[in-house]
Amino acid sequence: MTTDRELDEILAEIGREHRTMDAPDRLESVLCAATGARKRALGMPGVRLRWALASVVILLAAFAATGIIWQARQNHHSQTQQEGSVPVPKLSPERIPPSTRVTVRQSVEPGSGPARSARRVKASLPRSSQKPTTWNSLDEFVPLPVSEGLPIAAELSVVRIRLRGSDLQQYGLETPADAVAQTMLAEFVVGEDGLPRAIRIVR
Amino acid sequence: MFDWLRRTRQEGELSDAELHRAALAGSGEAMAALYRRHGGLVYRFTLRMSRDAAAAEEITQEVFLALLTQMGRFDAARGTLSTWLCGIARRQLWKYLERNDAAVLSDLDDEGAAELPCLSDGPAELLLRREAVAAVRAGMDELPPMLREVVILCALEEMSYEQAAHVLAVPVGTVRSRLHRAKARLAGLLRGEMANTERKR
Repeated sequence: MTTDRELDEILAEIGREHRTMDAPDRLESVLCAATGARKRALGMPGVRLRWALASVVILLAAFAATGIIWQARQNHHSQTQQEGSVPVPKLSPERIPPSTRVTVRQSVEPGSGPARSARRVKASLPRSSQKPTTWNSLDEFVPLPVSEGLPIAAELSVVRIRLRGSDLQQYGLETPADAVAQTMLAEFVVGEDGLPRAIRIVR
Repeated sequence: MFDWLRRTRQEGELSDAELHRAALAGSGEAMAALYRRHGGLVYRFTLRMSRDAAAAEEITQEVFLALLTQMGRFDAARGTLSTWLCGIARRQLWKYLERNDAAVLSDLDDEGAAELPCLSDGPAELLLRREAVAAVRAGMDELPPMLREVVILCALEEMSYEQAAHVLAVPVGTVRSRLHRAKARLAGLLRGEMANTERKR
């Protein structure tokens, strides 16, 4: 029993000495640096929050812009449909004339208004030879005399243009005297080569 | 940013949990405070067990770095931060011992291990206390790691059996029995030392 008590005393003495030992100070700076490095690696919470908010704002702005653009396009589309509500006539091959080189754009008056729309009409147009037709209809497309000799158009477009009555003469059409000075809205049937094949007066 | 921490630390009011939260938020000062508070225990334990200052330092550093990465595993209901840190240190220590001290580890199970030499079973008079202390110290180093760690925690660090059991991840009864066996060995060694001294006289 004496030895056990002695042992406890000796262990207590060793323990007292043992507990005076402290951890090396240099580790403190190492741990501080490691903590700072971890902080930098993870990033500041505030910075992360700001980035998240910025991302949300950018996404919302993108959605809003997309919505506005879509709405504008819808409005534009509906307006275009209203303006272009004139029925596209069926083009009979017989009415597609031979050709002469005429540029539709040359006949467009600058600042004459937005009245232009195009509609694609796919058709296979066999070549045909017809005598020149005079302009005498507001409802049907009239083949243009100047288009005689043009190749068959595989794809046709309807282009709406505002022009003067006198301009029709350059397409080989006879214009009534009272209509020479008038401005009218006409629709041209234009081939994929950009040359007009037929015309119709809308109003 | 952590001025509040500096102020309150000077007053010694911050708990381990508060310091740890600050450390996780990136406060090196909080980490330093935790190290000053618990680093000594971890370092002493690892140094006594490994008897290698460099290894003890390395393990201590790893233990505190684990504070930043493994803190989710700490359950305050099961024990204090100091015992949790000691537990991590112990696991690191055993890995170190496995790598570097296989001969010692072969003696882990002291049930079959040879008793430390006991030169005399008779009553002894302690003539030179310093020699006795040195003998016990040497005897501790000779103990198998499994017994030595119990002596370090319970006798030198004055941990309770419950705290030691938490560190060692064993039942309290196991701590008691291991400590009893360790002390029996040291007492035998001490008796032998005393007999030797008597014989010399």
